[in-house]
Amino acid sequence: MISSYTIGIYPRSEKLIDATRTNAKNLASLYLAEKKEYIVIQKKARLGYVCDPLVDWDDIFRPFSKLKSVKPEALNRVYETNTFYRKLALDGDFADAGNIVKSHLAVSLLPKNRTVCLVDPYTFADVHVSSRYRKKDELALSIAKMLRKEIDTLVKSGFSLIQLVAPSIAYNPKVDFSTVKDALNIITKGLKAKTILHFYFGDITKKLERLLDMPVSGLGIDTTTTPISSIKKHSFSGKTLAIGIVNSYNTKLEDKHELVTEINNIISKTKPNEAFVTTNFDLQYLPKEFAVRKILKLGEIARGVKSA
Amino acid sequence: MQEELKVHKHFQTQEIGSLKKPSWLLNVVKNPEISKDDKARARNDAALLNIKMLEDIGLDIIYDGEARRVEMYEEPVRYIKGFEFAGRVRSWDNKYYNKARITSEIGYKQNFHADEFMFIKENAKHKIKVPVTGAYTLADWSYDEYYKSKEDLVIALARKVVRPLVKDLVKLGAKIIQIDEPAATSHPLEMDIFRQSVNESVKGINAKVVVHACFSGNDYEALAPYMPEIKAEQYTLEFANRDTWNLGVSDKERKGYHVLKLFKEYGFKGEIGIGVTDVHVDKIETTKLIRDRILYSAKALGDPAKVYVNPDCGLRTRSRAVAFEKLKVMVEGAELARQTIGN
Repeated sequence: MISSYTIGIYPRSEKLIDATRTNAKNLASLYLAEKKEYIVIQKKARLGYVCDPLVDWDDIFRPFSKLKSVKPEALNRVYETNTFYRKLALDGDFADAGNIVKSHLAVSLLPKNRTVCLVDPYTFADVHVSSRYRKKDELALSIAKMLRKEIDTLVKSGFSLIQLVAPSIAYNPKVDFSTVKDALNIITKGLKAKTILHFYFGDITKKLERLLDMPVSGLGIDTTTTPISSIKKHSFSGKTLAIGIVNSYNTKLEDKHELVTEINNIISKTKPNEAFVTTNFDLQYLPKEFAVRKILKLGEIARGVKSA
Repeated sequence: MQEELKVHKHFQTQEIGSLKKPSWLLNVVKNPEISKDDKARARNDAALLNIKMLEDIGLDIIYDGEARRVEMYEEPVRYIKGFEFAGRVRSWDNKYYNKARITSEIGYKQNFHADEFMFIKENAKHKIKVPVTGAYTLADWSYDEYYKSKEDLVIALARKVVRPLVKDLVKLGAKIIQIDEPAATSHPLEMDIFRQSVNESVKGINAKVVVHACFSGNDYEALAPYMPEIKAEQYTLEFANRDTWNLGVSDKERKGYHVLKLFKEYGFKGEIGIGVTDVHVDKIETTKLIRDRILYSAKALGDPAKVYVNPDCGLRTRSRAVAFEKLKVMVEGAELARQTIGN
């Protein structure tokens, strides 16, 4: 058995969707009920780490619009999906950061083995705008400092696995790895929690060697965009490998035996210090009924794999 | 009877497709107490209202604001064999769409736009352009559990659904078909699949083919090299939402339209329906701004006869009052542009 967790935002149920569309009076209690339900499902699936399903977040960045001098702007497409997020104008120094993410989580509902999903500083800077920081590298480093404050608060609240999703690193043909590294150093130096950098929406085959050198506990890789054959060519000795093999972008349910065999094979080739099996990205791309099946399947697969 | 337009009229105006549904129509169609016949009558009334509004505003080419379609994806999927709705997924914030799974072989059941088209044909005086959701977008917005590859699915949809649908519409008298492909450029590496999708969809079709593709972040640079190879006489595209609101016909003011030059460089010789109206904001463009966008486009393409004028996309995201005002200004701007070039 290896450990497991899910990434990002979960889908809303049909009931919750209707409530959000009419801005129902009991929306807050419906959000809470749905969070409780999803946490129970993750426990039932015996996932190694449990997360807040973030069903009350409009997108993965929106809570940060509560910071002074951060304003939501126009809609922008999430990479190549049919989903959109609001671009943020990041015009302040983020001096009031530190408790934004925690205040948007149902921390009290989570068990001790809790994880949280944030966006890595490079990606964060890549997909938003700033009049204060004209250069993206300066913005990324400033975001990293802001995120470090947030993460310190989360670690104090018991979050021992920090997911840093990094789709821009995967998607962009050219990446400033020096900025990525400097920003991650700000986040992880002396941090008493595991940090996993997750890649999806792009093939990282040609970037993998550089990424293995990043100051994080490990890498998470979406196997629908980066071929498994590419991952197997690398040694993960001294690193954690999170295998994003349960597909959040298709309703088709994975075959447990097929994936267990594949994961065992990946682990034997890459020899990571620790291995996880995860979804490849946010479950919100599926309707709830299918997302729940995927969570349960994820747990089954994790239990079927030999330890790393 | 459709009015035959003078062949020499430049900058003909058209809509892209959808308008926001009137609240009274939604109240009727969502009310379980109201009979099927009364709902059908309400849809006819809404369609008629849109047709008359669009004609009164002066658009040269019209449809019915897609008054009776649920939405551009869900509507066709309801009538295609092989699809099963999975549930709603989020587009953004509290907006969702009903996404379907493909669980068996795709198949065409019936001309699901026949009643709609016949009603418009009987009631419209101006030219009609029929919007049809394209195979590539239908595939891209669905969960494929059946086909081996996206290409296989797209080709199946093009050959087995879109082509027979378009053929049936042409048999009923449709002269202009617009293949709606909002997903067209969202995956730049799949442009060859998109090319095949359109070409297979319109193979053997005797009608003017228009392709509408939304802007997806790469400024149509991915589309440009394929345009000459795609069997479309016209593309209706988004430009206004990336342009400035300043008057003028220089590159500086008209930065949203620079890519038109690229189309020409790649050898595209057809028409462009230029989006001159931003459908994401309530602010109304001025007639002079519309004029300048048209004149810049005519110069960039090197031939005013190749320029058609439309909003960037469907106006369903705007209130009806804003949408009609934007269209009115667009028609006036086109007239101003014609006067400027002496057409």
